[in-house]
Formats: sequence, C-alpha cells, structure tokens
Amino acid sequence: MSADVSDLSLVRRVQRGDKGAFDALVLKYQHKVVKLVMRYVRNPAEAEDIAQDAFIKAYRALPQFRGDSAFYTWLYRIAINTAKNAVVSRDRSPVDFDLDLQNPDESYDMQGRLKDSETPEALTLTEEIRSTVNSAIDALPEDLRTAIVLRELEGLSYEEIAQAMGCPVGTVRSRIFRAREAIDRRLREVFEGGLGRAEELG
Amino acid sequence: MNEELDSQLSAMFDDELPEAECQLLARRLSRDEALKARWRRYAIIGAAVRAERGVRLDTNLAARVSAALSAEPALVAGPVVEPRVRRGGTRWWQPVAGLGIAAGVAALSVFWVRSHVPVGSEALVVDNAAPTAAVGTAPATVEGTEGEIYVVPTNVEPRTFVPPAALANYVLAHSEFSTPVSRRNLLSALVASESGTSDDADGSDGAVDETAAVEDPSENVDQAQ
Repeated sequence: MSADVSDLSLVRRVQRGDKGAFDALVLKYQHKVVKLVMRYVRNPAEAEDIAQDAFIKAYRALPQFRGDSAFYTWLYRIAINTAKNAVVSRDRSPVDFDLDLQNPDESYDMQGRLKDSETPEALTLTEEIRSTVNSAIDALPEDLRTAIVLRELEGLSYEEIAQAMGCPVGTVRSRIFRAREAIDRRLREVFEGGLGRAEELG
Repeated sequence: MNEELDSQLSAMFDDELPEAECQLLARRLSRDEALKARWRRYAIIGAAVRAERGVRLDTNLAARVSAALSAEPALVAGPVVEPRVRRGGTRWWQPVAGLGIAAGVAALSVFWVRSHVPVGSEALVVDNAAPTAAVGTAPATVEGTEGEIYVVPTNVEPRTFVPPAALANYVLAHSEFSTPVSRRNLLSALVASESGTSDDADGSDGAVDETAAVEDPSENVDQAQ
C-alpha cells in the first residue's frame, strides 16, 4: 500500500474546490498539530489558535502542494513555521502597563482566554474521553487490543502488524476496525453526554 | 451505517485503503456529516491512546477553520500537478536531445569565435610576445605599439613531478606489472630530480640517499626487461 494515498485523495478534492474534504484533513490531524505547536507554546488555547492559523495557511497554500512529500510532512513544516513566527511576534509585542492600571480585569483577559481550554468542564470532558477510551481498550479481546495499540501507539502499518501477530493483513484490518467500533460505541455515549453538558454550561 | 463502509473508513484513516476506493470514499467523506463525525472520533481515539497531554480531545478546529475559510472562495479547480514519477522507457529521447543541443551550442560557439576573432591580429601578437619578454619577472606592464597596456602574468616554473623515494622504490619493485612507458616516465623523472639535487649547492644527504636507494630496483627493472 502506497503511503499517504488517503490524504492525497482528500488533498486532490480540496484542490478541485471541495472544502468539505479539507474538514476531513483538519479532523484527522488537529490533535497532532496542536501537540506539535505545544512544543513552542505551552498554553493549549494559544496552541489551538496557532494550529488554526497553520491549517488556514495550509489551505491557502494547497494549490502549490505537488504531493512530492506526504501531506502531513508538508503540514508539519507549515505548523512549525507558524508557531515560530507566533512566538517571535508575541515576544516583540510590547506590554501595555497603562491598560493594566486602568482596567485590571483587562490584564487577565489574555491569560483568562488562554485558560479557556483548561476550564473545569473542558478538562473534565477531555479526561472523561481519555478514561473511556482506555477502559474500552482494556475491555477489548487480546487480539483486538494488540492490533489497535500497535497501530495507534506504535504507528505500525497493517503489514507490520500482520507480521508481528502472525496473521493475514485482512485480519489486521478487520481487528482494527472492530476495536475502533467497540471503542467508538462507548465514546459516542460520553461524547454526546459531554457535549450536552457543555451546552448546558455554556 | 453500512459496516463495510465503516471498515473502509477505518482503513482509509490508516492509509491502508487502495487508491481507487480512497478516491470514492474521499468524495463521500467530504459530504457525509455522519461519516465525518465518525472520522473525527477515530482521530480522538488515536489521540487518547497516544495520551497527548495538554491537547483537548474534544477540540474541533475543523469547525473553526471552516468558519474562518467560509468567506474565502473555494480553490480554483484546475489541472492537478501529479507528483513526478519516473517511468522507465518513456524518456529515452532525453539524452539524445541533450546531446544534440550540446553539439549545436558547441558548433555555434566555434563559428562565432572564428567570425569574431581575427587570426594574426595585433592583440594576439602582443599576447604571444609579452610573456617571453617577461619570463621570471614580477607582473609587469607592457605598452603595446598603439599605446595599449597589457598586464603580463608572472612566470610560473613548470612543476616536475618528483616522486618520493619510498613511492619510487615501491613502483619500481612492482614494475613488472607496469607498462614500459610508465616505467620510462618514472625513471626519467628520477634522473631529472637526481641531476637537480646534485646541482644544488647544499646537496643534502637525504636526497642523495633516496636516489641511491632507487638505483637498485631500477637495475632490477632493466634485468627484468
């Protein structure tokens, strides 16, 4: 299986004017990009803003993407550059002490906004998702658990997993799918409940 | 939801779906919100398994990005640049064409030079004459007959290759495997270096010893011949 085929299929659709395909790319890589940006910026909310900027830049630059490298490699470079530029411009921006004195609440605006993603409900939801996924994985049969962990944690290809587990590639594909479905069933309940709570809180 | 479709989606998420199926599914994925939601949850599962600390698992950057890009027009549909892939046999003509172009350029250069540089002109006469007059001197200016000034480069002594004695010994000792011409060149270089050192006023012992050490193997070479 040639690498990056699925990303390339989506990229080609975006290049032909299909914005919906770009959503799929963002959904697939948003966590990785935020995680990457957090190497430069500690604050999760700021990291999300920078990641958003990186995705927008990537979208605008997609007509020039030739497919010589993997899409994520290309996106990775954009995200790194966006993060570096953001850090530089943030460091250069002067601190307005007058604003702090006149309106003390304003001085916490930035920090407060940056901490939005660390609000109790957001943290609770994230922790709930994480523990649900982990407990769902623990509840999986051994073969499904091994397959999904090798895939998601170790990043092995189906071929490599098949060799490691001594089974055909088709079986690996089926095991990973069944594992995902089992986790997804649990996740949907939590996710819908969590979103409901978030709406109530919001 | 069709189980086969979900299975394909899972494989596509892992870049393990054949290209043709990928293209079909990509089209559906971009339009089907339920499929997109499942795709999103697959990404969340991966992020949770990898325990990406500090990252909000329920984040939805796609919605934010989509909102930010909503005012922008969709990318212009046009010919997509495919990645460059070398296919054997399809570009056999390229080296031939390259050679042809190179030959053409070379021929044009020759004709151009011939038509623009008159043979036997004054410039060439001055160029040839000046270095002979200034051999072994510092850079000097020579005034031509028509008042033109030329800078004459310093004379550089032609370098003679004098092999070290150890190397010469080695080569001569193994000279039965070398050609007569190369043997002769080496011997003449050694003779020249020997005469040069004997002419020197100081005539260091080391130089004499080195040439002396070479003498014997050369005799062996002659005998071998």
